[in-house]
Amino acid sequence: MPSASRDPLTRCWHTSAPSVAARALALLAASLALVIAAPRHALAHAVCGDRVFPATLVMDDPGVGDELSLPTILYTPIPAGGGNPSGRSIDYGFEWDKTITKDLGFAFNDDYFTRYGAGQNLNGWDNITLTLKDELPCSEAHEFMVSVGVIREFAGTGSQRLINAGVIASVSNTTPTFYAGKGLGDLPIGYLRPLAVTVELGYQVSDWHSTSPNVWAYAFSVQYSMPYLQQHVKALDTPGFFTRLVPLVEVSLSTPEIGPTTGTISPGVLYEADTWQVGIEAMIPANAATRQSQGTGVIAQFHLFLDDIFPESLGKPLFNTDLWGQR
Amino acid sequence: MRRIYSLLLVTALLTSGAAAALAHAFLDHALPAVGSTSHGSPPELRLWFTQELEPAFSTVKVVDASGKQVDKGDASVDPQDRKLLKVSLPPLAPGSYKVMWRVTSVDTHTTSGSFPIQIVP
Repeated sequence: MPSASRDPLTRCWHTSAPSVAARALALLAASLALVIAAPRHALAHAVCGDRVFPATLVMDDPGVGDELSLPTILYTPIPAGGGNPSGRSIDYGFEWDKTITKDLGFAFNDDYFTRYGAGQNLNGWDNITLTLKDELPCSEAHEFMVSVGVIREFAGTGSQRLINAGVIASVSNTTPTFYAGKGLGDLPIGYLRPLAVTVELGYQVSDWHSTSPNVWAYAFSVQYSMPYLQQHVKALDTPGFFTRLVPLVEVSLSTPEIGPTTGTISPGVLYEADTWQVGIEAMIPANAATRQSQGTGVIAQFHLFLDDIFPESLGKPLFNTDLWGQR
Repeated sequence: MRRIYSLLLVTALLTSGAAAALAHAFLDHALPAVGSTSHGSPPELRLWFTQELEPAFSTVKVVDASGKQVDKGDASVDPQDRKLLKVSLPPLAPGSYKVMWRVTSVDTHTTSGSFPIQIVP
């Protein structure tokens, strides 16, 4: 049975080739692979000068923090294909982000997967994923920040039923990942100053490359921060609810060594409260290969800022220092 | 499914505690307002934040187009309303000014920001 693995950003399932001779079959399998786009790691908000990079739902933001995403719910319709009827999957995820120092943190996340129809009803826990991430000194004047991290998925920690069905990875993998965020507030562009762009780039390396291919994963987001507009550009006389919204679009793609590129385009909106955030996005297949395995889904998340809720206990770094001596 | 119920319970507990929680102090509103145009020089600049501030670590200044500080240098947190930071202004000539603030909330989180104001005759 081919093993399965996911890219580090979009949680796309890739059915890998069991041997070189099966390469052509793997190409077909990959194109039909069940693609489930969902958040996976380190969804924290980050502050750099005037800019607050919110926790995005599909990809990660460029900072570390003490936060909790609970729950993240993803609904994905599955089209009929390969002799199987249509179906749907619902994924219930959580993630805990903890700072070790002010600029070094880890994230722990998992999710409970359910699938109805599509040939076989399935449910069970996914593999556990850990992320270690370091935030480099940011340029406050230019609202520019960068982080580097390593993501590790531990195969065998999830449900054996999902492994047997080829839904979750049977081979562990490691993903070195680069994160960056840039706010446009330092540019003389008036009402476009609330715009910001974040990017994430990772390369997932399988422990057993011969049975599970490596994967490039890349994502970016474009965000327009109404709080930034209100606080730094022009205070509008609008109801307070609207001044806390961040409309955004996330684009998340993955390209395995074997098989086509798949991914999603996710327009949506976030609402930023003082100690929590809620967000919802549509997840639209980005190309024909993705549409073969999933329809347009919806992702929603409730996110807590533990550093603001428990500033003297759970929400502060384990060690009150930082690696770069900046803060 | 028990694990899911446990997670939802944790969420409920955390959320119930959130109402009384502290947080980063962000600018709620200002007078003169962010990006506004004032007819005549206001005697004072007032900024209201989303959280109470630590007076010793919270300040604001106003600079002109050349970067020169033009306020009276008496920035302070209002003792009656610790979400309010204010600074006195001398009569200012018409022109563009920049308000720059840096505050620490009572839970020790530091935030900063700036915004423009315009003064016309």
